[in-house]
Amino acid sequence: MAEVVLKDVVKNYGNVYAVNNVSFTVEHGEFVALVGPSGCGKTTTLNLIAGLIPMSGGDIAIGDRIVNDLDPKDRDIAMVFQNYALYPNKSVFKNLAFPLQMRKLPKEEIARKVNDAAKLLDITHLLDRKPRELSGGQQQRVALGRALVRDPAVFLMDEPLSNLDAKLRVQMRSEIKRFHHNLNATVVYVTHDQLEAVTMADKMAVMNGGLLQQYDSPANVFAHPVNTFVASFVGSPAMSLIPLDVATQGTETSLRSPEEGWELPLSPMNARKANASSNGKVVLGARHSTLKLHRQAVPGAVPGKVYTVEPTGDVTFAQVFISGAVVNISLDPSVVIAPDEKVWVEFDQERMHLFDGQTTMALQAA
Amino acid sequence: MSIATGRATAPLAAGTTRKRAGILSRIIAHRTDYLYVLPALIVMLVVIAFPIYYTIELSFFRTPPNLQMRDKIWTGLSNYSTVLNSSVFHEVTIQTIIWTIASTVFAFLLGLGAALALHREFAGRGLLRALLLIPYVISAVAASYVWKWLYHSDFGVIGAISVALGITDEPINFLDNRQTVLASLIVVNIWKEFSFAMVMLMAGLQTVPDQLHRAAQVDGANTWDRFWHVTVPHLKGVSMVTILLLMVANFNSFIIPFVMTGGGPADASHIWITHIYQLAFGRQQWGVASAYAVILFIVMMTFGYFYVKALTRGDETRAGD
Amino acid sequence: MAVISETAIRPVVRKPIDWWRWAGRAFLTFLLLFTVLPMAWMVLTSVKSQFAAMQYPPQWWPAEPTLNNYFKLLDPNSRVGQDFLRYFWNSFYVSLVTTILGVVVAVPAAYAFSRFRFPGRNFMFFAVLVRNMFPAVVFLMPLFLLMRWMGLVNTHGSLILTYLTFGLPLSIWLLKGFYDNIPIQLEQAARIDGATRFQAFLLIVMPLSTPGIIATSIFSFIGAWNEYVYAYTFLSRDSQMTLPVGIQRFFTEFATDWPGLMAATFMMSVPVVVLFLVLQKYFVRALTEGAVKH
Ligand SMILES: Nc1ncnc2c1ncn2[C@@H]1O[C@H](COP(=O)(O)OP(=O)(O)O)[C@@H](O)[C@H]1O
Ligand SMILES: [Mg+2]
Repeated sequence: MAEVVLKDVVKNYGNVYAVNNVSFTVEHGEFVALVGPSGCGKTTTLNLIAGLIPMSGGDIAIGDRIVNDLDPKDRDIAMVFQNYALYPNKSVFKNLAFPLQMRKLPKEEIARKVNDAAKLLDITHLLDRKPRELSGGQQQRVALGRALVRDPAVFLMDEPLSNLDAKLRVQMRSEIKRFHHNLNATVVYVTHDQLEAVTMADKMAVMNGGLLQQYDSPANVFAHPVNTFVASFVGSPAMSLIPLDVATQGTETSLRSPEEGWELPLSPMNARKANASSNGKVVLGARHSTLKLHRQAVPGAVPGKVYTVEPTGDVTFAQVFISGAVVNISLDPSVVIAPDEKVWVEFDQERMHLFDGQTTMALQAA
Repeated sequence: MSIATGRATAPLAAGTTRKRAGILSRIIAHRTDYLYVLPALIVMLVVIAFPIYYTIELSFFRTPPNLQMRDKIWTGLSNYSTVLNSSVFHEVTIQTIIWTIASTVFAFLLGLGAALALHREFAGRGLLRALLLIPYVISAVAASYVWKWLYHSDFGVIGAISVALGITDEPINFLDNRQTVLASLIVVNIWKEFSFAMVMLMAGLQTVPDQLHRAAQVDGANTWDRFWHVTVPHLKGVSMVTILLLMVANFNSFIIPFVMTGGGPADASHIWITHIYQLAFGRQQWGVASAYAVILFIVMMTFGYFYVKALTRGDETRAGD
Repeated sequence: MAVISETAIRPVVRKPIDWWRWAGRAFLTFLLLFTVLPMAWMVLTSVKSQFAAMQYPPQWWPAEPTLNNYFKLLDPNSRVGQDFLRYFWNSFYVSLVTTILGVVVAVPAAYAFSRFRFPGRNFMFFAVLVRNMFPAVVFLMPLFLLMRWMGLVNTHGSLILTYLTFGLPLSIWLLKGFYDNIPIQLEQAARIDGATRFQAFLLIVMPLSTPGIIATSIFSFIGAWNEYVYAYTFLSRDSQMTLPVGIQRFFTEFATDWPGLMAATFMMSVPVVVLFLVLQKYFVRALTEGAVKH
């Protein structure tokens, strides 16, 4: 077991910076999810940790060793690939045995370890089959087994669940979590699905365009997104974002809709944040559960128009146009409301987010 | 809370200012990659680069028939003017063009027809495809002998059939006749290679999505419309490559004319390649033949440009380092 | 025109004749005759006596079929048989060695072209492909000189060396196509599982590219077996000759023995046709690989 440290890691292909100056530390035994949209550099980061591709700059340490120049085989890691990468011409047994053979373990020990891993993963009955004779879920287990069998210091997983159907994905999610718990393993887990990251990880590293946006616990990332990208990426449905102007009259600060002219007065705390904006514009962020819907005008509410209504069973989501932006609001299923209806939306001053209109960074009270 | 401040919108950090690696350091970084290519490279150099250089050199000299290089005499461009001014060269050039174009067009059309007819599943389809491919697989020498026998002026079966069917009064002398010889050889060539076009186009047809055909059918397109608007656009790429490969192969063919007629009668079935061979190894005019080869070389480079372009289409950079 | 769904019940309406289908069948029949009749005539002639073959009008069906022509070719005690068997062996030896060496050289090169992006890669790849374009004759004179200088004239070495090069571009191209289809993640997995780059190649990639290697081998073998120009130019000694050149010398020495020649031609075609029929799948795949991108 070991910690993993990335320091100023860079990987570029010509002018394309797949990974740009990324630093973070995965503590011993921690489960870290590397999350971000497709093409943001997650796989590249993982491959750099694994040593599959050479770094353009920076340092990576696993345990107390700088591993920059070490071959993958010498880094004491195991990896699970998105498409499983099972050796198609080898049986399941041979797939599991391969990493042990490469380490020149005696035959009996290999057989014992393979059987142990197979039992753990409940794939003992599949040992003689070829990968193509397995279902997606079974292949997934074999891939996991091939990583487990060797007892490595660090597990790397690249979107291991994305090829499974929705139901199986939920099941494997809890199994992987369970393994992590039982083995107390250090895991770096790549996914483009923020829900997976939020539900599984101790910490999540949100990436975009090769840059690390935020590295923190899911709860903190959810509660305090550092910028509009993270705010809109984490959470489902996403945080709603409304671009507004800052209007100051005497000591009162409010937000004004540039299109509709209405004003939303701010609490003193939020006013201080809004006044820190670099260009007099802010982006107001609010999660669906913090908003209240009214059928008449009430103080502190702003006007909007219902766009669609989506009942999901235990919650109904309404999408409301406010100042040209679409805002998600969760409602009790008993509420009856129709598209095009005129409504008023009340914001929770304690739980709203304010981002700089120019830099998109979360505003701090000055 | 650890935060990477401003990364999303701030101008790119350290990475962008890093200098682009120089070509030399890139070569050094990839030095082991070259080991894989080295054996192939050496063989190719010895047997390709060296001969090309040598041909060019020979084309500027008059070299004695026994090819003793130390006795060669510098003649400048005179070998080139000998080639370009000879009337046989002009005649052979026209024959080469006819040979190349006619063989390509007919082989392609027969292949296309066969591919379309074979696209539908039916019993014995695999066997039929295999049978049609046999001429392509066997040696051109074998094909030449078989057809030489079919065309035989006295006992040839083709002549006998045409008499039996009342098409002609007596057997035609196909090969010893300036009027018929080139066409007769082209038939052999088409026989030999149409199934190549067939296989290529069959593979191409498999890439046409069935859904498109069904969609067109629903839109009221008849068989011809569907062929023209669905199949043809999809076959464009494969057809390009197939035609290019056929052109190159036909332009370069040697065995059929050489074995069947030796370029005769009176040069009527020579094409560039057989003509060069005759000038070199028949008449020992090494310089002239080399100049001829260099001219051919230049023509081929033009072909080559399109060929590589057509073939490397889609060879976009893949992952991997 | 109304579109009638196929499930609609049409008890009375007869299916209209599909003219396209019939045109297709007629065309295939024509092609089949065009392809098969010449080969059939070769076989029919080969079982005739010299006398029976040289008749006008021809004997459409051999009156007294005989296998004498084949016995003669395969009889190690007759002069004809000795020569033919020696040519056969020479062809086989040269083709086999060419094929094996070709695979050994082409595999690493194709792998490198598929996986690595090294400076000069595109140029080398271009050079390899362009070699495909040039006819043998262009290289013949200088190669003849080169072989003479290396003392390889009248040896099988000269043929193997030249066949190797004209087979390589195609082999490399074909194999590259196969390697392109093997996911790079398999090698990455192997390297993480403790293999070196070379072990990953040897233990994981090589076994998976077996179909490609078979396909490439068939191509090299058939190409070498059928080759004529270099063999005709580089070899003048009877004992060295390969079949395509050998049978020609053989039968023009005297007045042409057409049935004998047809029998020899048939025998010469048997190995490649058998090879092709057995490994047809690979052959066709190799032929179309690269040209047809899915
Ligand atoms: N071998 C390569 N050559 C050039 N660009 C690459 C290569 N590998 C990855 N990239 C680029 O790097 C970026 C990040 O890729 P990747 O790490 O695979 O993204 P993710 O896994 O987050 O979807 C992408 O823009 C991709 O196009
Ligand atoms: Mg990825």
